[in-house]
Amino acid sequence: MKTLVIIPAKDEQRKIERVVKEIVQNGWPVLVVDDGSQDDTALAAKAAKAAVISHPLNRGQGAALKTGIDYAIIHGFSQVVFFDADGQMMAAEIAKVAAPLSDGYEVALGSRFMGQAKSIPRLKLLTLKLALYFTRLNTGLKLSDTHNGFQAWQISALKKINLTQDRQAYASQLLQEISRHKLKFKEVPVTIFYTDYSKGKGQSVFNAFNILWDLIIKK
Amino acid sequence: MLIQLILVAVILMFIGRLVGQFRNQKISGWEFIGWNIIWLGAIIIILFPDITSFLAIKVGVTRGVDLVIYVSIILVFYLLFKMLMRIENIEKDITKLCRQIALRDENKDN
Repeated sequence: MKTLVIIPAKDEQRKIERVVKEIVQNGWPVLVVDDGSQDDTALAAKAAKAAVISHPLNRGQGAALKTGIDYAIIHGFSQVVFFDADGQMMAAEIAKVAAPLSDGYEVALGSRFMGQAKSIPRLKLLTLKLALYFTRLNTGLKLSDTHNGFQAWQISALKKINLTQDRQAYASQLLQEISRHKLKFKEVPVTIFYTDYSKGKGQSVFNAFNILWDLIIKK
Repeated sequence: MLIQLILVAVILMFIGRLVGQFRNQKISGWEFIGWNIIWLGAIIIILFPDITSFLAIKVGVTRGVDLVIYVSIILVFYLLFKMLMRIENIEKDITKLCRQIALRDENKDN
């Protein structure tokens, strides 16, 4: 089983090198999709021995992941793991997240509420809980966490779905597609760190409204 | 009335620009004709507002002005919707392009 770790990154020059190094040390091949960064994200990622491809313009996290998936297909990988560039996730947990794929699952979803969410801001917690109910309403999936970027997918499952959302709404779209195609999935507890850096880099809670808008307006 | 003159003058300006765009081939013949019909219709309504009152009573609205406003709002919403869809498609195309460039330039040093 060839597994590729895909990291979409925009302006993550400060963190990306360490994030990639840790994953490489854990023995995984890494692809960084540089999503129109203005800084030296691509160089930093290359220095840490990641494969790097670059969007000439910023197209959003969903778009970058899709590009990474296309890369994985072209290069004959059979599984991919989605990972964040900002140091919120633990490279040591990649094996754990990817493990269900070897047990016949098509998708494994990281859950910070089964695992540990370290110093999560309260407003963020509220938004995530609301998103849970929205997901339940929208897809019928009963999850303990949603919009967790730490996921593992069989390429064969990704080939079934059509990822059209370029920005953050892609996370909801992935869940909708899991539901629509009745993909066999499993939640895996993961640790998410809320550092000052990630809080500053991450999306604002108000972005939830943008996500809803994208989901309603676009298909 | 003065308002009629002002409105007609403004619309004639629009039509003037339309002719320019058509000459420079920025819009197609059909677009040119379509917009002309809309603007000429507007001039007729401005000069002879009673026409709308006649139509308004026919369709069951009491005042001609009301009918014009209803129709205009519907038109504006329709155009807005079309523009949104168009922008959306353009965004998707840009993403596709970026993706192709990224995958094509995979081995180039950037």
